[in-house]
Amino acid sequence: MGEAKPPSLKYVPTTCPYCGVGCGLNLVVQDEKLVGVEPYRRTPVNEGKLCPKGVSCWEFVQSPDRLTKPLIRKGDKFEEASWDEALDLIAKKFRETSEKFGPKSMGFQVSCRTPNEDCYIMQKWARVAFKTNNIDNCARICHGPSVAGLSLSFGSGAATNPFEDVLNSDLILIWGSNAVEAHPLAGRRIAQAKKKGIPIIVIDPRYSPTARLADTWLRFNPSTHIALANSMMYWIIKEGKQDKEFIEKRTKGFEDLKKTVEKYADVESITGVPTEKVKEIASKYAAAKNAVIIYCLGITELTTGTDNVRSLGNLSMLCGNIGRPGVGVNPLRGQNNVQGACDMGAYPNVYSGYQKCEVPENRAKMEKAWGITGLPDWYGVTLTEQINQCGDPIKAMYILGLNPVVSYPDSNHVMRSLDKLDFLVIQDIFWTESCEYADVVLPGACFAEKDGTFTSGERRINRVRKAVDPPGEAKADWEVFVLLAKKMGLKGFDFKSAEDVWNDMRACTPSMFGAIYAKMEKPESVHWPCPTEEHPGTPILHKEKFSAPDGLGTFFGIEYRPPAEVADAEYPFTLMTGRLIFHYHTRTQTDRCATLHYEVPESYIQINTEDARQLNIQHGERIKVASRRGEITTLARVTDDVAPKVLYMSMHFDKGANTLTNTALDPMSKMPELKHCAIKVEKIQEAS
Amino acid sequence: MAAKGEMFYAWTTNKGLAEKAECGGAVTGLLKYALENKIVDAVLAVKKGKDLYDAVPTIITDPKDMDQTAGSLHCGTLLMSKLVKKYFNGANTMKLGITIKGCDAMGLYELAKRKQVNLDNLVMIGVNCGGSVSPVPARKMIAEKFGVDPDKVHKEEIDKGQFIIEYEGGHKGISMDELEEHGFGRRTNCRRCKMKVPRQADIACGNWGVIGEKAGKATFVEICSEKGADLFNRAVQSGALQAEKAPDAGIAVRGKVEKAMFKLADKWREKDFKGLGEGAARLKTIMVDTSRCIKCYSCIDQCPICYCVECSTKKPYLVPPGELPVPFMFHMIRFVHISDSCVNCGQCEEACPMEIRNSLYMHALQSDLEKMFGHVPGVDMSLPVLALVEEPTERARLSSTGSDQIYDIFKK
Repeated sequence: MGEAKPPSLKYVPTTCPYCGVGCGLNLVVQDEKLVGVEPYRRTPVNEGKLCPKGVSCWEFVQSPDRLTKPLIRKGDKFEEASWDEALDLIAKKFRETSEKFGPKSMGFQVSCRTPNEDCYIMQKWARVAFKTNNIDNCARICHGPSVAGLSLSFGSGAATNPFEDVLNSDLILIWGSNAVEAHPLAGRRIAQAKKKGIPIIVIDPRYSPTARLADTWLRFNPSTHIALANSMMYWIIKEGKQDKEFIEKRTKGFEDLKKTVEKYADVESITGVPTEKVKEIASKYAAAKNAVIIYCLGITELTTGTDNVRSLGNLSMLCGNIGRPGVGVNPLRGQNNVQGACDMGAYPNVYSGYQKCEVPENRAKMEKAWGITGLPDWYGVTLTEQINQCGDPIKAMYILGLNPVVSYPDSNHVMRSLDKLDFLVIQDIFWTESCEYADVVLPGACFAEKDGTFTSGERRINRVRKAVDPPGEAKADWEVFVLLAKKMGLKGFDFKSAEDVWNDMRACTPSMFGAIYAKMEKPESVHWPCPTEEHPGTPILHKEKFSAPDGLGTFFGIEYRPPAEVADAEYPFTLMTGRLIFHYHTRTQTDRCATLHYEVPESYIQINTEDARQLNIQHGERIKVASRRGEITTLARVTDDVAPKVLYMSMHFDKGANTLTNTALDPMSKMPELKHCAIKVEKIQEAS
Repeated sequence: MAAKGEMFYAWTTNKGLAEKAECGGAVTGLLKYALENKIVDAVLAVKKGKDLYDAVPTIITDPKDMDQTAGSLHCGTLLMSKLVKKYFNGANTMKLGITIKGCDAMGLYELAKRKQVNLDNLVMIGVNCGGSVSPVPARKMIAEKFGVDPDKVHKEEIDKGQFIIEYEGGHKGISMDELEEHGFGRRTNCRRCKMKVPRQADIACGNWGVIGEKAGKATFVEICSEKGADLFNRAVQSGALQAEKAPDAGIAVRGKVEKAMFKLADKWREKDFKGLGEGAARLKTIMVDTSRCIKCYSCIDQCPICYCVECSTKKPYLVPPGELPVPFMFHMIRFVHISDSCVNCGQCEEACPMEIRNSLYMHALQSDLEKMFGHVPGVDMSLPVLALVEEPTERARLSSTGSDQIYDIFKK
């Protein structure tokens, strides 16, 4: 016999907590501890393959930095408290605020990182307890414009086709997406397509790792999408290459579009792209039998976000590329559950399944389902607008799993605003920069410690399975709301499991009614809409008709508008922002993985070789970068991947990109202009 | 009394096991016996997860649970050897029974050379393997080539060059050649594999060569080590296992099957390696393909040769951190460190998120090195040609064995 008792070995198949691709993976548990991640080859999403973040996603779970006890602010300090004490205080303060200042004095924000069940129960609690619609999630600052834009164009705000479906295309047009880094296992599909010989066009101002996969890479001036798309459509129509039958039978508004694009024959002065090149790309897209458009935050995170999305909707419908395999318009959703958080109704104007609050029948239905009266009809306040309203009229705020101080635009503004709140609750797994502004901090459970579901960017509802217990006294987040509801004497929160919460949601959500947990046991799971238990789910949307009430897709004539802040004499450079493969958002998780920290321990900025030469900046040198809102220092990476006068920085670091970014909003979706602002760049002069 | 080198037909006497297991259930029976009699502390084997496309490794300490691991899963593409190192401290402090395919066996030997696995503490039951099919492509193959809903299939097997499925309402077989011509079938590394009968194990088992009335009812067993002989004899003596000498005709059939597999593997090797081109053209192919790398480290994590705590790819002067595309040096380091010992297990390629043909490149290099130096990795304890194996003393000590003799490399 050996000397030691062999450890146990358990593989828990679950879903990666990072991006919206929804990769399956096995958490390896030995003697109640997480010890690693192993491939889950059985899942069709990623076949066991993972990116640098996926393979290391277990490392942060058992970090000694985890929050393990509720904390209550006492003066300048935080003191450990019992759950009872913390929840009593929250219930009391929120009730007082609600009674004194009404439903518009409260703000609720939920992360797209947390499972559907948490999102659903939080919005239910906010709406039931306080009769407010001031609930939003961070889709607002990534794909809010997709939800708005695709809803207007197609009648549904979600991706039309699954990731793997690009392999059925004859042409892949990737626009404003660096999938290889931001959605690596969707990037894999592009790599597969390339091997299959499917032509790939990447439209991006930057020569990104994704652009490197392209057969044709088109550089254009940042944020000039509409002009470029309009010009492509001008040439398609001019040469009679549009799909006339599709336009006739399945759409409306074509004349509006046609009239608008007539002004866009030559857009070189705006986009920097010669007309011949525009014609070439347009003609390739129009000629392909089945062409798919994949886009991401390069399209959405601008004050023209919703219009950019609608422009891609226009382009796809113009060539009849909707409603069958190999076509479509697919936003790559950023976070693991950004699709789901919206689906769950953690949104200021809709309940779960996008049932609008303004419709009296919907309110009546939800009131009946939830056993209450008096649900509000008004459009609630959105995520960053809630920040603007801190102090007046918002007095109390509840933030679940978000770190606004680092991830929202204009960090200084966020900090000043949070300071104005009377009462702030933050529920998270780690102490974040934002916790400094809280009155109560609650310890939540992470993806490895609770059951639930994430809905990926292809509308596939993937199971999240508990592998280990949360640390210390930390609790599954949905349980916290069950306890809060109990303290407040609310009915309809008597849930014993995540599945109970899910079933409560299903009961009032026709598009997901059939998506029972049993259907999610195997990793194929189910794509919503899934209205009945017998329904197989819907991988491809808008097949016979569009999801809009009249069944038609809508063209919009959309004029190009420049970004809110463009380079000028004082701030002569343009800053673009984006993501790195090695980090996720504000790094609360990824920086706690040694392997990821090693790759990129601090922020850097990409600057063009010629610009660097003129400013006498060397590769690796620390430089000063400033916008009208703030100033930072960072390391210069000198490269021709960015064009002259355009710099690129990732958004992951505090005192980084979001110290510089602009809070100007897209009027339709309230998306701040995170991808474009004017900056100046200076060499740091050594003290003499 | 059975001795090393002898061959038998054997079957379990446990009725429950015999029903659940395939072809006599000798593998499960032997491991169960080893566990019951405390020859091992635990058994590391594979069980069915969500369905027959889902192979899940499991550790069994209660002999009653052994039946969970009965039967084979050809859509399981796990590599057991690295799991022993990663999750069981290389079996340094416990005795493990383990079922292994050829690639697992080769991986264990390479890890043992590097002091990462203690073969003395392992009881290895080898199983013949004609190759495995990755689960998602298998489902696609069944849907597209067989025209059967993969969820309706309750049994699959690879027999006589065919992939055969049994499903609600029938069974169907299609020849591997045909499937593989259409891009389906076995993993590409399996097609090139020539380790069909893992004789590095203590006992090598399988169904090839079981003929006559015992066909389908007994397991072909080849005793490969003293340890294996001891286990087999004890199991037979105790009545847990019944056995009879394998007939010459059966041994001949088994040899023929193995030979046919070798021939097929040679064909695939020629095709795959030729497809890579030669010299600068080959290097260019490799450079272009590896330029998609996103540095997930899965190839390293899953590789049964890689074990270094301080990986050279994490030396900033060799590979600058945080850069995409990953500098080619990353892959050059892997080629230099691994290629003489690559056992073509395919894990690096199967785990690669960017569809880089890692296994093919490494195997092609290994094949060239084998021709140059005559070193065959994974078959015995002889030293690698190029790769580092800790200190010179270790080298000397290892080479002095000169055979597949297993000894305790961990004891001071």
